[in-house]
Amino acid sequence: MADAATAVATTEMTVEMIKASQIGMKALGASIAVGSTGIATGLAEMAIGSAAVGATAENKDVFGLVLLLTVIPETIVIFGLVVALLLLF
Amino acid sequence: MAEVRGGPVPYIYVCTRMRVRKSKLIPREEYLRMLNMGLSEITRFIEETQYKKEIDELATVFHGIDLIEIALSWNLAKEYQNIQKITPGTLKDLTRAYLRRWDIQNILTIIRGKLHNERPGKIKEVLVPAGELDKAFLDRMIEEPTPERIIESLKGKAEYPLLSRLFEGGVREELLPKAENELYKQFYADLIAMARSGIKGGRQFLNYITFDIDITNIRNMFRFRADQSSEDITIAIIPDGTIPPHEIKRIMQIRDQNEFIDELVRLVRVRVLLDLLETLRKEKSIREIEIDLIKVQLAEMETMSKLHPFSIHPILAYLEMKKYEIFNLRALARGKESNLSSDRIKGYLVM
Repeated sequence: MADAATAVATTEMTVEMIKASQIGMKALGASIAVGSTGIATGLAEMAIGSAAVGATAENKDVFGLVLLLTVIPETIVIFGLVVALLLLF
Repeated sequence: MAEVRGGPVPYIYVCTRMRVRKSKLIPREEYLRMLNMGLSEITRFIEETQYKKEIDELATVFHGIDLIEIALSWNLAKEYQNIQKITPGTLKDLTRAYLRRWDIQNILTIIRGKLHNERPGKIKEVLVPAGELDKAFLDRMIEEPTPERIIESLKGKAEYPLLSRLFEGGVREELLPKAENELYKQFYADLIAMARSGIKGGRQFLNYITFDIDITNIRNMFRFRADQSSEDITIAIIPDGTIPPHEIKRIMQIRDQNEFIDELVRLVRVRVLLDLLETLRKEKSIREIEIDLIKVQLAEMETMSKLHPFSIHPILAYLEMKKYEIFNLRALARGKESNLSSDRIKGYLVM
């Protein structure tokens, strides 16, 4: 009985449906790529940012340097974005 | 105030601030330069560093050595109060508890001053309101007419039960050393109890406190040996260190220095202390030994703060390093005032 039901379901999948499903999976992959790298960047910047604010509170001259150091983890989310764009286009 | 939350962020923030402040402390080369300066030049030099505000404020009222001494005390108190304000969560509780040692020092200074009929202004000059007892409270204590009333004014504070019991029959000069020992024993017992209470960061705090107790006990052992004191060392020994008090009492009976060091080495577990003890086999004055112990303590604190970069260790390391910077500047100023030679003053500096 089960084999018969599966056979019916398989035969009912059209080419359009498969294409749509592929697009959906790509979108899901792209969202995971951007989302997970975004979280990773946030975590990395949390530690660097708080240290940067601490250092700036004591010595204002280091502001430019620590700002640069704080945004370095942005590269992680850019990699994620690139992967997402490659998946989608 | 609600407890500060936000994961590791406040810890990272404060520990970074402590690191930056530590980097601003006066380096060894500057001390060497100051050794060749006169008192007025030293005052001017200090004014160019982070002591500017205090020197400027006090310059109209005080001069010479008094100006330096009071400016340094004010700066230290201000710095410690500021650190207590910016530390988050449990680190604040641990820092406050650790800085209570200044309360003990202030209380004993006021009682001693009163017993010697010093004028309030003179007593006030040597106080460092860095602990729980703030400037206003200490001022009220100084204004009390008798030492007994001073102790009464401490009602509700951690030191009161012990002091009221010790000085039940009146405050006498000969009881003060005992009171000092007992207060420090209670202070360390409270710190250990706090560290073992399950408080966040308690384990790192306990590591340092145990090390601090060891250093204090070893210092006391060498002091007793240098004085050839017949007193029982257990009155000055703080329990809960890694060296058991009965072992300390036993090895203090040993007269030969090499044999004494051998026994001590057997009991000590900290590597840096072992290295130091080996150098103490040859004849050294108690002052040199004390300075060496302080250097080892600071070096070990630095190591601990690198092992646990976002714990209580960087804060404690800065507190101690700042304290010794003040001690160094005070020693330099006092030495210059007394026309001591540069080499002699150098022997008192922790560099």
